[in-house]
Amino acid sequence: MIRRLLPRKVRAESCAPDAALLLYVVLFFAFMLLPIIIVVVVAFSATEYITFPIQGVSLRWFRRIYEYRPFFNSLRVTLEIAFLSALFGALLGVPAALALTRWKHPIASLAMTFLLSPLSMPFIVLGFALLFFLSAVGFGASFLSLLIAHTVVSLPYVVRTVAGVYRGLSPNLEESALVLGASKWQAFRYVTLPMIRPGIFAGCLFAILLSVDNLPISFFFGSPATSTLPVVMLSYLENSFDPSIAAVSTVQLVFALTFLLVIERFYGLKGMAPAS
Amino acid sequence: MLSMNRRTLLGGLAAGTTSLWPQSRVFAQATPSRITVTSYGGIFEGVVRDTFVADFTKRTGVAADIQLGNPSQWMSQVEANPDKPPIDVVISSIDLVIEVGKKNLLEKPTVEKVPNLADVPQYFVDMCQGWGVCFDYGSGGIAYHKGRVKNPPKSLREFVDRTAKGEWRASLPTVAFQPSLQLLIWSLNDALGGTLDNITPVIDAVKQMKPNTVFWSSVTDFLNHLQSGEADIGLYYDGRVWAAYDSGMTFLDFINPSEGAVMTPIAAVKPTNAPPIAWEYINSMLAPGPQTEFGNRMNFGMTNKNVQYSEKVKGRITPWEKTRLPPVDRMAPHVSLWVERWNKEIGA
Amino acid sequence: MAFSPWLSAPAALFLIAFFVLPLTDNALRSVASQAAAGANYLKLLTDPYYLWVIGVTIALSAAVTLASLVLGYPIAYFLVRKAGRWSSLIIFLTVAPLLTSIIMRTFGWRVLFARRGLLNVLLLDAGWIERPLALLNSPVSVVVGLVHVLVPFMVLSIASVLQGINPRLGESARILGAGRMRTFWLVTFPLSLDGIATGSILVFMLANGSFVTLLLLGGGSLQTLPLLIYQQFTTTRDFAFGAAMSNVLLVLALLCLLLQLVLIRRRGVKT
Repeated sequence: MIRRLLPRKVRAESCAPDAALLLYVVLFFAFMLLPIIIVVVVAFSATEYITFPIQGVSLRWFRRIYEYRPFFNSLRVTLEIAFLSALFGALLGVPAALALTRWKHPIASLAMTFLLSPLSMPFIVLGFALLFFLSAVGFGASFLSLLIAHTVVSLPYVVRTVAGVYRGLSPNLEESALVLGASKWQAFRYVTLPMIRPGIFAGCLFAILLSVDNLPISFFFGSPATSTLPVVMLSYLENSFDPSIAAVSTVQLVFALTFLLVIERFYGLKGMAPAS
Repeated sequence: MLSMNRRTLLGGLAAGTTSLWPQSRVFAQATPSRITVTSYGGIFEGVVRDTFVADFTKRTGVAADIQLGNPSQWMSQVEANPDKPPIDVVISSIDLVIEVGKKNLLEKPTVEKVPNLADVPQYFVDMCQGWGVCFDYGSGGIAYHKGRVKNPPKSLREFVDRTAKGEWRASLPTVAFQPSLQLLIWSLNDALGGTLDNITPVIDAVKQMKPNTVFWSSVTDFLNHLQSGEADIGLYYDGRVWAAYDSGMTFLDFINPSEGAVMTPIAAVKPTNAPPIAWEYINSMLAPGPQTEFGNRMNFGMTNKNVQYSEKVKGRITPWEKTRLPPVDRMAPHVSLWVERWNKEIGA
Repeated sequence: MAFSPWLSAPAALFLIAFFVLPLTDNALRSVASQAAAGANYLKLLTDPYYLWVIGVTIALSAAVTLASLVLGYPIAYFLVRKAGRWSSLIIFLTVAPLLTSIIMRTFGWRVLFARRGLLNVLLLDAGWIERPLALLNSPVSVVVGLVHVLVPFMVLSIASVLQGINPRLGESARILGAGRMRTFWLVTFPLSLDGIATGSILVFMLANGSFVTLLLLGGGSLQTLPLLIYQQFTTTRDFAFGAAMSNVLLVLALLCLLLQLVLIRRRGVKT
């Protein structure tokens, strides 16, 4: 709309950079996707060992996933842990981010640093420490322990992304709502929450994605009932060098894409965007 | 305040929480209806299920759940829960067995508890210092690509010299891969005349080889290297070579160097507070029937003297008498210094 | 609207219970087993080798953060301002690297970077190089591998903030005669600094703690604290030294983080 108001010269000038940007975007995604495409291609390999380029095409490695029960069982555990840890991360993290962002006290920076600190601890140290600690307090190597450990990691993502978005928003909107007679809860529910949605979305997405691929923490809490997919995949690779790992990765990819599509369908990835 | 140590701290927390959370395992020594045992993943797990677990369940009626992973993870879990170990039988490399055994977290096997122990050479119990018994072993030697290496070395010393000359590209394990302490550092050092106190021989040798060397960090990496042409030869295990050979990588071959391959056994141990039925599982692991099938399918040497390998497998097994057993127990105090020196001078 | 600071209490308590206590417990355990724990810290902070490792760790994280920012910003901008109905696709493509397991992703890079890998073969055929580049097991492949997985964090962090900036601000500037680049640098970019901060913090902290990519693609060409920590857990089982190194790493990361947060605050809270 406004574009039409722009002087003609400005409009012409804006085409060349757009083309350059588009070209860059295409190159960038070629870079992002290349290694993944190789993995997907290997999944359809006919040979019993991993090689690229592949010699012959077959679906046998997808059948192997179905036959090798640990792959299937661990996938369920992996997904449950990922979603629950993101949920708990959000329940704890969103209020904390809102509280600390506009708090002008010097302690706020320190508190924020503290909430983000788990990010910088190598996961293997965290996993090891948590195993001994949670065992000592009686939780052992259980689903609950695994969930607690993953939540420690997911919390900082939600805190940081929500804080990042919330800081950029003008407090005036909420103030106006209050002035117009909304209760604090209503102002939060109908003004703040819709605006910070992109932050919550991004934080939870990060948390889920990292949880699904987290090996160094999960592996300390493995048991026949709580092994996650990366743990099973790694131990599979110890003794079998066949393309079924690539097939599992491909299935994982399809699952994840489906999940994103479902969000897109019912919620809109543009739910990244604040509801207007 | 500050004198409160971690036992009292944790004890307090534990008292507060255990009353709230139901115990997941029962303390009673009564025979449980299922036990938890461990296995590496992939083919290994399938064979464990078909041999040891099947035999155990058939004889006792008790089910065995298999936990996948690796020994340091399992042993950490046992160490973290000494009173109610979450695992009933652990398989492990012998260095970990001795380390954990010394903390009295493992129970020593005897012929009364495990009758099949009578058919296993004492050698395989002694190497665990009595804390467990080995059920199989692999050997670490030289593996190479037959197409690219026409005249393979006969000894480790020859391997080092010709790699340094640049006759081929070698693939060596990185020090972050735990078994490389034995497969690489101890083995080459021993072959080149070093001692536990003096690893200069191996450090110098690797420095000379480094321009023609890539490093592998997981066992499948090595196969990748040979397959993709990144390397032509390297230090690797016999059982894994034959497994890869059978899956179609027929360009592979294995040599037991004249100094002797590195004995790499897998031990079975029972944590101290695991129920006695765990001995029955270890007894299955040592029985000639399951061991024969395991050895034939995995290409591993087995420890029961009554095992009869198939024709194909017989020629592939490196006899344990022709291997060198690393002194894992005496190595332990030196390892930190070795790794530090390696990091500073080699850095891989 | 000011939320009560107490709303951060549950999160703080959770982390005290399941982050601070376990790590303290871990540190105490290592002290108990080794009287000379002080010697570990002394060695870490005085031995030139370990100081070098600490330097490499920070330099690597900084390089990865900078590369992710430079590569990721245009994508975030494109996603929010230009992609239109394609924006969902762009998000899919951005997070795709995170959806495959690290083990296979690394395998993909190996195929591309190997001595006889796709990239070298292509470059050789095109006559651009005469002998294969040693890409694998070099710092280059480590940075590429890390940027590949961490750049999505940068893109989405920046995008979620850009999303909240009214595009009309930029358009007003242009109607008032500002050039396209000028508009971007004077209007859009400053407003997106919060997203840049979030992205940089996440990428920096994650790069700072990562070792798997380094282990699988670095081939020993780079040594960082997390890699040495991993060694202590797998190879030497010297947990006391491992704990000492993780504490040094944690303090380093927190200092960097605090510095960044103070810098953000210094700019003042926007209204």
